Amino acid sequence: MDAQQAEVRALEAEIAALRRACEEPRTAGEDNWRAQKSLREMYQSDSGGWASSKDLRSHLGNLESELLFLSTLTGISIRNYSMKTEVLTNTEKTEKSITKVLQRHRLSGNCQMITFQLEFQILEIQDKESLSSVITDLNIIMEPTEYSELSEFVSRAEERRDLLMFFRSLHFFVEWCEYRKRTFEHFKEKYPEAVHLPEGAASSCMVVHSARQPGFELVIVWRVQIDEEGKVLPKLDLLPKAPQQALELDRNRVLETAPRSFRALLGVLGIEAALESLIKSLCTADSS
Amino acid sequence: MEWANDGKSKGGVLAHLERLEIQVTRSHKNSEDLQRAQAVEGSLRTKIHKLRCLRDELRAEAKQRQARVKASAANVEPDQTLEISEQEVAERRRENMKAILRAYRFTGLSGKLTSRGVCVCISTAFEGNLLDSYFVDLVIQKPLRIHHHSIPVFIPLEEISAKYLQTNIQHFLFCLCEYLNAYAGRKYQADRLQSDFAAFLAGPLRRNSLCNLLSFTYKVEPRGQSVPFWARLRYKDLTTTLPTDVTVTYRGTDALSPSWEEQRASHENLFFSKPLHQVFTSFARKGEKLDMSLVS
Repeated sequence: MDAQQAEVRALEAEIAALRRACEEPRTAGEDNWRAQKSLREMYQSDSGGWASSKDLRSHLGNLESELLFLSTLTGISIRNYSMKTEVLTNTEKTEKSITKVLQRHRLSGNCQMITFQLEFQILEIQDKESLSSVITDLNIIMEPTEYSELSEFVSRAEERRDLLMFFRSLHFFVEWCEYRKRTFEHFKEKYPEAVHLPEGAASSCMVVHSARQPGFELVIVWRVQIDEEGKVLPKLDLLPKAPQQALELDRNRVLETAPRSFRALLGVLGIEAALESLIKSLCTADSS
Repeated sequence: MEWANDGKSKGGVLAHLERLEIQVTRSHKNSEDLQRAQAVEGSLRTKIHKLRCLRDELRAEAKQRQARVKASAANVEPDQTLEISEQEVAERRRENMKAILRAYRFTGLSGKLTSRGVCVCISTAFEGNLLDSYFVDLVIQKPLRIHHHSIPVFIPLEEISAKYLQTNIQHFLFCLCEYLNAYAGRKYQADRLQSDFAAFLAGPLRRNSLCNLLSFTYKVEPRGQSVPFWARLRYKDLTTTLPTDVTVTYRGTDALSPSWEEQRASHENLFFSKPLHQVFTSFARKGEKLDMSLVS
C-alpha cells in the first residue's frame, strides 16, 4: 500500500507540473508561427498576393508567346540583353539645351546554329528641335567561325555600324546555308553511289562521279555570298574534271563550256532541278 | 490463520468457544480490515488509474505544444522564403523578357501581341543613324488584314500586301522593311544635304516625298570661282539608297573647259557610288586643300 501511495503521490506531482506547463503563456516562437500563418492566409486571399502571381504567370506566358513570335519572324533568337546609360557631362557651357546620353548595349543570342554576341554604343543627342540616335561603335563576335563568307560581312557591318543589315543578312545567310545543306543531303540520299560530300553536307562542295567512268567528276561549288548592300545570294559553279584523253577527244568543247551551260541551266530550271539533271546525266551513263 | 491445533488446550468447551469467538472476531476484524484495506486499495487503484490517465493526457498536450514551438522556429521560414524566391525568380524572368522584347527593335522588326493579332513595329536606320519607326497592326483572321498602320502613303503598301500578305507574313514584313529603310536612307541624305551643305547649293533642293527624285544646282566651292553644276538624281529602285540615274550638266552659256568636263564626269560617278551627303563632304575636304588646279 505504501508503494501504491507512493505512486499516487508521484503521479499527483507530475500532473501538477504538467498542468503548470500547459498553462504557461505562449512562447514567442509559437506566436510567430501563428502570425506567419495568418499573414499567409491573408496574402492568399488578397488580390495583391498570390492572385497577382497568377497574373504574373499569365503575363509571363504572354511575353513568351511574343518572344516566340518575334524569333520566328526575324529568324533571330535573342537570349540576353542589357543596357547601361551614362549621361555625358556638358563641357560646352553655351549649349545648355543639349543633353548627351551614351548607351552601352550588350546583346547575345543565336540564329539557328550560329551564335552571336554584340556590344554596341548609341549616342543620343537631344537639342531643342530634335533627338538623334547614332550607333557609335559596334562589335560583333560570331561562332562558329567556319563560314568564311561571314567574316568579311561581319567586318563590313562593324565598319558601317549597320546593325539592322547585320541581323537581316544573317537571317537570310543562315536560311540559304540550311537550304544548301538540305539539298545536298537530299541528293546524297537519292544517289548514294554517285554523290559525294567530301567536306560534309554543311560545306559548299558536292562532287558527282560515275562508277563506270572513274576519271570523270563534276564538282559543284555552291557559295552563299553577301554583297555590299547586304543582299544574300547563292552562287553556284560547276568544275568538271575529266581525264586528259577525254579532253583531247572533246571536239565540241563540251567540258570547256560546261560551267557556262550550267549557269544557264540554273537560270532556267532553278537550283534543285539543275543539280538533279546534272547528276542524272552522269548516272544514266552508268545504267546504259 | 492458524488455528491453534490444540483441541485439548486450557479451558474446556468454554475456552474452546471463547477461542472460537476470538477467532471469528479476529477474522471479522481481519476481513473488515481486509475489506477496508481492500476498499482503500481499490480506491487507490482507481485513483492511480485516473491519475495515470490524466498524466498521459497532459503529457501529450505538452508534447504538442513543444512540437508547435519547434515548428514556428524551423518549418515556417523556409516555406516563406521558398514562396518569396519563386516570386522573385518569376519577376526577374519577366523583366528579362521585357528587355529582350525591347531589344528586338535592333533587328528591324519588333512588336506586341494584341487582342486582334499582332502589331509589328518596323525600325529604320541609315549608316548607324537610328531613324523613324513605323507600325503595322495586323488582324489575325482569314483573310489576314491590316487594321491600321503608320506607313507613309507614297510607300506601295497595297502592292506589297497584295503580293505577300496572305501567303507569307515574313516576306511581307521584310519587304516593307526594305522599302521603309531605303526611303529613310534617302530622306536622311536629302535632309543632310539641305542642313549641312546649304552653302554649296545655289538654289533650293527639289525633292519629292518619296525622296527618289532630287535635283539641285551646286558648286564644289561655296565661295569661289567654281562652275555651277545642275544635278538630277533618280532612284528608280525603291529598295536602294543610291541613285540609278545620275545626270550632271553645266548650264552655262560658255563652253566647258576640259578640266571642268573631267570634274563633271567624275561628279556623276561620285553621285552613283556614294551617299549624297558624303559626296559633299568630299567636296568640302577638297576645298580645304585649296586645290589651285580647280581654278580654270
